[in-house]
Amino acid sequence: MSFLQLILKNLFRRRSRSLLTLTGISIGIAAVVSLSGIAAGFEQSWANVYKARGTDLVVTKSIARSTMPGPFPWSLKAELQKMPHVREVGGLLSDVFSVEDSPTVLVIGWEPKTALWNHVTLVSGRWPDDASKDTVAIGTLNAEMLGKKLGDKLQIETREFTVCGIFRSAALAESGAVVMPLSAMQALTEKEGMVNFFDIWLEPHTSPEETEALRDSIKKEFKDLTAFNPGSVSESNLAMQVAKAMTWAVSSIALVVGAIGVMNTILMSVFERLHEIGILLAIGWRRGRIMQMILAESLLLGLVGGIAGCGLGVAAARLLQRSPWVHGKLEAALDLRLLVTAVLIAIALGGLGGLYPAWIGSRMSPARALRQ
Amino acid sequence: MTANEITSKRTLIEVRDLRRSFDEEAVQALRGVSFTIDQGEFVSVRGPSGSGKTTLLNILGALDTRFEGNVLIDSVELRHLPSPERFRASTIGFIFQSFHLLAALTALENVQMPMFEQKWRASERQERAAALLKTVGLEHRMHHLPAKLSGGERQRVAIARSLANEPKLLLADEPTGNLDSENAQKILEVLCGIHQERNMTMIVVTHDPEVAAATGRTLRLRDGQLTAEG
Ligand SMILES: Nc1ncnc2c1ncn2[C@@H]1O[C@H](COP(=O)(O)OP(=O)(O)OP(=O)(O)O)[C@@H](O)[C@H]1O
Ligand SMILES: [Mg+2]
Repeated sequence: MSFLQLILKNLFRRRSRSLLTLTGISIGIAAVVSLSGIAAGFEQSWANVYKARGTDLVVTKSIARSTMPGPFPWSLKAELQKMPHVREVGGLLSDVFSVEDSPTVLVIGWEPKTALWNHVTLVSGRWPDDASKDTVAIGTLNAEMLGKKLGDKLQIETREFTVCGIFRSAALAESGAVVMPLSAMQALTEKEGMVNFFDIWLEPHTSPEETEALRDSIKKEFKDLTAFNPGSVSESNLAMQVAKAMTWAVSSIALVVGAIGVMNTILMSVFERLHEIGILLAIGWRRGRIMQMILAESLLLGLVGGIAGCGLGVAAARLLQRSPWVHGKLEAALDLRLLVTAVLIAIALGGLGGLYPAWIGSRMSPARALRQ
Repeated sequence: MTANEITSKRTLIEVRDLRRSFDEEAVQALRGVSFTIDQGEFVSVRGPSGSGKTTLLNILGALDTRFEGNVLIDSVELRHLPSPERFRASTIGFIFQSFHLLAALTALENVQMPMFEQKWRASERQERAAALLKTVGLEHRMHHLPAKLSGGERQRVAIARSLANEPKLLLADEPTGNLDSENAQKILEVLCGIHQERNMTMIVVTHDPEVAAATGRTLRLRDGQLTAEG
């Protein structure tokens, strides 16, 4: 008999309890995996938007009061354009609306005749006229979600629009979006002359240091505004920070519950086995080996629970992704690193939960245990 | 003198003025006990209930190291021994009145339990355990759980287990106390066999005169003191 076989035997003896503990751990780990995956996917989908547009710098209000950054005058564009290395500036105004059956749809107004329009390709129809106030183009995923085709009407808030084009974007978030000229969006949201983003494209061969210097001078020159690299979008986006904080909070709770579950199970099994532990000590087991046995049991519970939790978490993320709130806005980022981290966390939980019971078990007095 | 007689003259256990009390001196379980036991001796300990027999055996087996006086086993002082477990693993084999087998493990697995402290491979542990079960006549019961074995068979598994680490000293606390006379007889035969074959030093606490008669010497305890040897 190997030590591992002994551990397995101990766990199988209390099959239903071990199973319940595994369920507890795997639910905790599943929460971590699915939420982290969704949060990372959220971040990635925005990064992808900027990557698709080829944006070098993004300018927004420095203080965000809601998940969407607040508006500021489009007229600042002239000053931005005069700054060194700036090749082009495109203004946009975006917000999230409930559109017909879909509770959260990204609606964007793009400034006409800017590079903003260049990275997307029309699949069918045409782009809305620069001055048009009642036509929109929709992404392929949006068309699928809302069940719209060319010529269909689309109700956003109180206004009715006609779908005049369907486009494809490399970024999922844009695929699920509605796009219209900037002026139409300003009218819809009653923010005449305002934008909430400037996307900036720099001259080719601008060095990272020069980009950084430009970023600093934008922040200095325009007091309310900030500029960030599209790669670090999460640091400047309130929604992303909220999503990350939520992930953290829910994950921590799930993990603490998981660890307590392991501790409870192992502690109970140790209390039930005090007599056995006394026998093992009497027949020559070192106290360290008793600890090893109990810790190995809880580590194994952690490992198996972690692997099961990863499976469950991936399934949950896939399910969440399909919910109307999330569908079309992001794809959960479930990479191997997240899964490996989750399994390691589960093993650590097992170890943490087993530490106290192992200590209790190893302190047994064999003579006393045997007298019972 | 034969080689066997020379080795048998070596002192294995030396106990001097051993005292052990419980509950802050309220119970004096052992009150100044002294004796020596040579390597290879088979000794029985008798005495009325509560006279301190189990207390003595626990001390000799390093299950209890909080006593006064001196106990030397194989030149190791047991009082305040830093690692009694290590000492037990290398030197002591225990047999208990109520067997104390692990209920979830088969006979073969029970016998392997003490061997985890040795650097033996799993297959080696298994072979050794099987051989030991054969010496106690249980080769046909190796894969049975204790619950499926008779009392006598369980005690024989426990005896095989006590030999797992090739101890120098076998300690048995009323090994036939829970058995009928037929099974007790069988256990006694097994113990005598082990004593003869392995020249093993053995101490048996017993109420059974037949067991005591089979040993070479008897220590009698009364109220925590030795009364007579015979
Ligand atoms: N841990 C302990 N705490 C308190 N008192 C104890 C403890 N262990 C033993 N005693 C007491 O010490 C005395 C001797 O006990 P011991 O178990 O050695 O007797 P024994 O000779 O083995 O008796 P029996 O034949 O009934 O097994 C008894 O009075 C017992 O109550
Ligand atoms: Mg006793």
